[in-house]
Amino acid sequence: MTLPRRLPLRLAWPALGAAALVLGAASRPAADDPWWSPGEGRVFPATLDYPNAHGVMRTLLSGGPLPTRGHPFFEPIGTNGRACVTCHQPADGMSLAASTAAARWELTGGRDPLFAAIDGSNCPTLPQGERASHSLLLERGLFRIQRPWPVREWQGRPVTPDFTLEVVRDPNGCNSGPRYGPAAGNVSVYRRPRPVSNFKYLLAVGFAYDPKQGIALPRDPRSGQMQSGNLMADNRAGSLFEQMADAATSHLQLMGRLTPQQEARILDFEMRLHTAQQISHAGGPLDTLGAEGGPAKLRDSQPGALGSIGTPVWSEFAAWEKIPAAEAAKLSPEQLAFRQSVARGAQVFRNKTFLITDSSGINAPVGFGNPVRNSCVFCHNMSQMGNDVAPGQVDLGTTTLPFADPWPDLPLFRITCRGKPHPFYGRVFYTYDPGFALTTGRCADAGKITLQSMRGLAARAPYFSNGLASDLRGIVDYYERRYSIGYTEQEKQDLVNLMSVL
Amino acid sequence: MKSLTLALALLAPLSAEAAETGRLVRFVSCPVYRDADSGKKSGCWLADARDSGERFDVSLSPYKPDWNRAVLVEGRTTGQPATPCGSPVLDPVRTSVLDEPCQRHMLPAEGFPGRRFVLPPRNLAPLSVPRKPVEGPFGPRTFALFFEFDRAFVVYQYSDFLLDQAAAWLAAARPKRVVVTGFAATAPETVSGRLLAERPEVAQERAAITAESLHRLLPELVIETRTETAATPTDLPDADGLPGQSQRRVEIRAEF
Repeated sequence: MTLPRRLPLRLAWPALGAAALVLGAASRPAADDPWWSPGEGRVFPATLDYPNAHGVMRTLLSGGPLPTRGHPFFEPIGTNGRACVTCHQPADGMSLAASTAAARWELTGGRDPLFAAIDGSNCPTLPQGERASHSLLLERGLFRIQRPWPVREWQGRPVTPDFTLEVVRDPNGCNSGPRYGPAAGNVSVYRRPRPVSNFKYLLAVGFAYDPKQGIALPRDPRSGQMQSGNLMADNRAGSLFEQMADAATSHLQLMGRLTPQQEARILDFEMRLHTAQQISHAGGPLDTLGAEGGPAKLRDSQPGALGSIGTPVWSEFAAWEKIPAAEAAKLSPEQLAFRQSVARGAQVFRNKTFLITDSSGINAPVGFGNPVRNSCVFCHNMSQMGNDVAPGQVDLGTTTLPFADPWPDLPLFRITCRGKPHPFYGRVFYTYDPGFALTTGRCADAGKITLQSMRGLAARAPYFSNGLASDLRGIVDYYERRYSIGYTEQEKQDLVNLMSVL
Repeated sequence: MKSLTLALALLAPLSAEAAETGRLVRFVSCPVYRDADSGKKSGCWLADARDSGERFDVSLSPYKPDWNRAVLVEGRTTGQPATPCGSPVLDPVRTSVLDEPCQRHMLPAEGFPGRRFVLPPRNLAPLSVPRKPVEGPFGPRTFALFFEFDRAFVVYQYSDFLLDQAAAWLAAARPKRVVVTGFAATAPETVSGRLLAERPEVAQERAAITAESLHRLLPELVIETRTETAATPTDLPDADGLPGQSQRRVEIRAEF
């Protein structure tokens, strides 16, 4: 559909037809409220649109509307009043923006189950009524993730970590004391919630091997199917069943286990969801003039294809590289310029090469060499989705010194490799989050974080697993700092514009 | 027990074909990266044979250097022009990353274009691409895959391809059992003044990672692992005529 030229976007939105456009603030009636509270019993429509700073995010639910009354994704099935939807909000691309958490705090005085002491505060030992005790969630959208330490088992095999973990700094108190920290048998790190949508892509297996680990992919003990390794930041869950069990116990404080019926209903719902930006404030509808933005393309495409040998990544916007003059005349100058910028951004993403250095999972041990020249699409290589066709555990340095930005409010750990030194950090180094190493127990995996999903970015700032990029420009700026890419200002803006429409 | 064919192969000298290729060079050196830019993966890797003073283009190795560490270079000289990277080309060539630290060094392109990336012949097709059925008759057969010096990592677009070829054949052949033997080149050799020898335990590591992959690919397979140290060179074709590479291997033998 094409927006009438110069028609204010706000007026054009009703033309979305079946879309359930939701513009309301928290004070509106529940049906229009972008915040989905547990147990409120709304119907999840087949098409659900929410505005964000960059335009409109659309979530499609294949198979038609879903009454959520009694549905385990939407009901507070645990003991803390939360449901899955609490931290996976449709208005936030099925994740949770830090700004949403902050607004929720203001609206409820911090009494929403979102702020449950278990992980919605910096540490349960802090005074829960104080805003400062929830600063990581309110300011960077971070939840506390408590992992067992030392890790003893992975993929059905016993594990003895080949590194020691010492707490250098514990600003929140959750890595020291009688109940928390390595001495108490656990480690607390802080991470962003990953979006619950587009799962057919995140579960897709394009090849039978994990080139980063040099081994065939593991199989799900329940289904016998190979596991993609792309679900969680530290790859601790290989299937959605494992993920939902982990989340129910930790985030919902469910006593006991999900029933098979609950698991099946959650799985059914999650696999039907596709989310992407549908309309850009600056560029208009993203599926016009030959472009294929929006979630319908995601819904209708086969997942798991490698862009370099098939449909190029972000070629959904290739038609905007050369917009015919007659069509361009129907757009405002600003819309035309934005669309051209998005198309350039896709080309920069694919074609602007730079030297990738000292990044475990890329430069070692795969065999690519250190350094290796490549572009964003080297890792973000899956058509339509931009995640990694292979299991995506790589170390960009976002959580580990010296590459990570200074964060005085995060715990800092000293890692000492007992066997071989880390290929790039050496024997002793410092990290805010060991990432994948908390799952495998291997020093060489420290700092590796599973690639993020790139869809729905516009609705769910901040970015990276520890929220270090407060906005889309922050993502580009981090990569520029890390790899000295040499992006021009125009290229940076083109990449930002591209990410705003994914 | 090895098949007679394989046993003969192990005892035989390198084939005539291998011997006719260029001069074999083997040395340890700190790699130099030349920032040539013809697109993705187009940069050049250079390494100096300090004994002879020659600088070689070693970019064609399936596993490439780390500019922070020394590499064991094994390759054969060629008559290929030095135009891509500015140095004589070794092909075939292997560059094993060693634990010895190096001063990292990068040269500018200096007008050299590097090589535009093309998929290597040993690359896996996506699962979405229909496979050509493996046809019988099936009988005892041995496959081999190869490793970097003193490592047990199944290298992308080299050993994973060889492993996949074996797995596809095994899936069709359905042998009674499979024997996976990890080899290690544990006999010390002096290279560039250093005494190099693989750890004995890398033989087990290679066997274990290969067996685990086969188990994941073909859960019903009955697999036994074995090890052999003091591995000797063979003329197995996928070692590309490089004796050192042929020693660092795993053999997957199907028994019926």
